[in-house]
Amino acid sequence: MVTWRLFKETSRSLTTAEGLAIDDTLPWAVSNLGSPPILHLYTFIPSVIVGKYQDIEAALKLDRCKARGIEYNRRSTGGGTVIMGPDIVALGFGINVDHPGLRKGVAGVFESLSQVLILALKKVGISASFRPKNDLEVQGKKIAGLSAASESGKALLFHTSLLVDFDVELMTDIMNTPLIKLHDKGYNCFSQRMTAARWELGRNMQVAEMLDAIQEAFEEYFDIRFKADTPSAREKAKIQEFIDTRYTQHDWIFSHKHPRSRMGIGQLKTKGGLLEIYLSLSGGSIENVVITGDFFSTTENVQKLENALKWTSARPEMIEKNLASVWEDEMIYGVDVPTLTAAVLKAKENQVRL
Amino acid sequence: MAEIKGYNMPDELYYHEEHSWARVDGNKVTVGMTDFFQKEAGDIVFVDLPEEEDEVEQGEVCGKIQSRKWIGKLVAPVSGEIAEINEDLEEDCSLINTDPYGKGWILVIEASNLDEELGNLMHGVDTVTEFIEKEIQKAEEEKAKE
Repeated sequence: MVTWRLFKETSRSLTTAEGLAIDDTLPWAVSNLGSPPILHLYTFIPSVIVGKYQDIEAALKLDRCKARGIEYNRRSTGGGTVIMGPDIVALGFGINVDHPGLRKGVAGVFESLSQVLILALKKVGISASFRPKNDLEVQGKKIAGLSAASESGKALLFHTSLLVDFDVELMTDIMNTPLIKLHDKGYNCFSQRMTAARWELGRNMQVAEMLDAIQEAFEEYFDIRFKADTPSAREKAKIQEFIDTRYTQHDWIFSHKHPRSRMGIGQLKTKGGLLEIYLSLSGGSIENVVITGDFFSTTENVQKLENALKWTSARPEMIEKNLASVWEDEMIYGVDVPTLTAAVLKAKENQVRL
Repeated sequence: MAEIKGYNMPDELYYHEEHSWARVDGNKVTVGMTDFFQKEAGDIVFVDLPEEEDEVEQGEVCGKIQSRKWIGKLVAPVSGEIAEINEDLEEDCSLINTDPYGKGWILVIEASNLDEELGNLMHGVDTVTEFIEKEIQKAEEEKAKE
């Protein structure tokens, strides 16, 4: 049976520089040292990590992070802001994109890795599903986010954060999200959109149990066995290089300041009720969107619509096209795609610089 | 204009296996990403490009392209100096999706070794068809294993 390498850290939580530097070394080792695929399972100290191309000053309230002792950093994969900590599984995975068993293409790779995580959650008693394109959800609530980057040669770095538990208050305090303007509604909105393993299971599940389940799920899905391992001398040198040149450097952490990171709120009275849209924009793309109001719908449907717009173009025709791609009759009672598009565009018109 | 298995792959262009295309006009080479790439990657939300006057080598990663939460590579199809960047992409990266061979062009390279390097790229309907079919076949084989 084929053997892959497993870097599993259960004795302590890692700093953002350590964890992210080890993760970046995984595809480097696969590509440059001929290493078999490597899975890194661990947790971070309390921290918040933005995506490679996010504007960190627009995404976070850095003064609140400092006041609460929350580390912040920037990862090398795409996507949005994630809160990390001792109760949130961090997963880094380095593999060659042509590796047998891994589905091909952007969508294929995300689907393969999602299947592994769905299997892991099943092992602990949680029925999750893949929310195209990049999240895992439990009955419409997000439990894990996935991101990836093509690295040197054919190697791929894959990141996941999976919530065993989650501090909603912390999130609302340190992140600049469209929901900040919602004040007391904010807590409720997050609670409706996210879940965690402990919340689903109703017991004090330990992170180690989830790490074991993920390890087993990888072995089962790819038909391999893991060998517990630690970085080699050359890999350790590379990890240190990433720490020194990237994850402790102001230029890396504060790179990618977008002149057009903005947030806007739009309200539109419709036959189906009031639509209230909270929108975060980064350049010409939608980074985050929240659809609220007094209309009649389900959390699952609202999230499906929100997800269809996240990380897509903010051009009017693209907004309409992306909403139409998931639209089903009466997803929001009394509202149609053109009306919802109009409400989103109102939020876009009302944008202010973050 | 060639449509291969539902992908628009214009005949006159040269293609790199990492899905960048090259349009040759004298020594100037306009570069973009193929219709196959944009369909497969989905909505492009960010491009990270080199600076004008930067030197690039054929096959070198000279930029990054984010589609949703994936960061992919822009590989230089030829060597040379970056002569121009498509600044419209800063405002609207989705041009790569909507018009990959037109308004969605990414950069122009002033080629330094064009005659030799064009031979390393794919060109012509038969070669490009074979490449696209292989890419599709790889994807279908893995899907079928599940």
